[in-house]
Amino acid sequence: MTSLDLSRVHAEPAAERLAVAIDETARQDASRLAVVADAGGPSRRAVAYADLAKSISAVEAALAAARPAGVVVRARRVESLVAVAAACGRQGVPVALVPDDARDLVGELRDWLVVDDSLAVSAGGRQRDALYSGPPHVVVATSGTSGPPKLVQRTWDAVLSAARLAEQWQGLGWLLAYDATRWAGIQVWGQSLLTGGRLVVPASRDPDVVARALVEERVAILPATPTLLRRLLASADPGLLAAAKPERITLGGEAADGPLLAKARDMFPAARITHVYATTELGEVFRVADGQPGFPAAWLGRELPGGVRISTRRDGELLVQLSRDSAEVATGDVVERRGDRFEFTGRRSDVIVVGGAKVFPKRVEEVLRGVSGVVEARVYGQPSAITGELVAAEIVLADPLPAGSTPEGIRAAALAACRDSLEPHGVPRILDLVKRITTTSAGKTSRRPAVVR
Amino acid sequence: MKPTVPDAIATAIRTVLHDTGRDAKDVAPAMLLSTDLGLDSLDLAQTIVLLERSLGVDPFRAEAAGRPSIRTVGDLIAIYTEAVSRS
Repeated sequence: MTSLDLSRVHAEPAAERLAVAIDETARQDASRLAVVADAGGPSRRAVAYADLAKSISAVEAALAAARPAGVVVRARRVESLVAVAAACGRQGVPVALVPDDARDLVGELRDWLVVDDSLAVSAGGRQRDALYSGPPHVVVATSGTSGPPKLVQRTWDAVLSAARLAEQWQGLGWLLAYDATRWAGIQVWGQSLLTGGRLVVPASRDPDVVARALVEERVAILPATPTLLRRLLASADPGLLAAAKPERITLGGEAADGPLLAKARDMFPAARITHVYATTELGEVFRVADGQPGFPAAWLGRELPGGVRISTRRDGELLVQLSRDSAEVATGDVVERRGDRFEFTGRRSDVIVVGGAKVFPKRVEEVLRGVSGVVEARVYGQPSAITGELVAAEIVLADPLPAGSTPEGIRAAALAACRDSLEPHGVPRILDLVKRITTTSAGKTSRRPAVVR
Repeated sequence: MKPTVPDAIATAIRTVLHDTGRDAKDVAPAMLLSTDLGLDSLDLAQTIVLLERSLGVDPFRAEAAGRPSIRTVGDLIAIYTEAVSRS
């Protein structure tokens, strides 16, 4: 396989880097696949680098003529989204990548041109100010896990800063399990397309579809939230999983617990499993690659790679200082010491307050998942006029059930396990058996109350 | 079909007792929630969520002030009967 001349890609301004890298790969290996969409499903669609490069040029020509103030991408297809983003970057046009649940925020960008899967760039709309000289940027929506989503502006440098361009990262198959408009998703397609990789987009988040995509498209890098990986390991066809050969699993977005890391190691013994700690505000802070949950206690107060320093507040909230000159930032993530590690207890904003007592849902979920026959668990606060909130939970049972057990028996065992290991106010008062737990569009476990029909 | 209010209340209370590892009891209107049935505020909160699911109403949500006293099973039946008739 020919490799890209990445020194050239490095040398380009960040905004132009994607378009240049895609052109370069297309020039060297026109038929190499850039995107495999609807992978693992019946309507698989493959897009070669040459096709992607052609789309980018076409959009660029139209942008140069229309000179819009900015472009809002409203594309269903990942290859359209990528083509428009790369074209906007090279043409110096600000571009907004906005997920479905943040569409009502787009009003802020009403002067901007909307481009959809047709890639048609219409004339009209406000034109770019001739005197406008700011750097081209990207507008993305924050995840909305804590507080309502809002639009934020990021430079292309910030968007692509975490991408690794070394030789070993070239030409790999990357699974895009995230929404392509979210920060985590942008990181995956950016990294893949900057390095001549094959971006594999599963047809759905159904565990069997994802597993089939892993096998059929020979995915090497599997970035996922712990929630998505847990669902994959618990519910996908074991035969398919056994045939998947990821080289790396990169977990992020939520804390990874010990049992999940152990299960992932058992299923994919050859994979290097890394857990990335990042926040929307700070970007990537550190990675843990030793296969254990949390991070070594010795990291506190020491300078980590990249000049990062971490410390904790008295109540356990993790504080991060990115460099000597930057201010310390409170992350909202609470950690607690267990032996020689700090493990994540949960997000401060996730705390459920029951009659004045605080409960971290993650702790309750860990107890529930430890019960034989339970494969997934989700804990949330159920509003109550009497106690403020109640701990409520949903569990997914193993299929098939462990020999000799019944759903009702497993439910009773789960409640008994919670009574044994949690304070009384932490024991779920509502415990529902569900087929699948609710996840956010970012692939994280939702903390919202269940909708009961 | 929705259960009757007294049936729904008896079922909810028995579920609370069962879920918390206590023995199920017969539930009668004259019983005191605390002394006779041993229900604390968490138990009552759970009962109310279960009743919202079975009867479709939560009469306690709207009443920030002047919550009627609820001491007996009969008090609950009266409050829910009125709430169901208004819904």
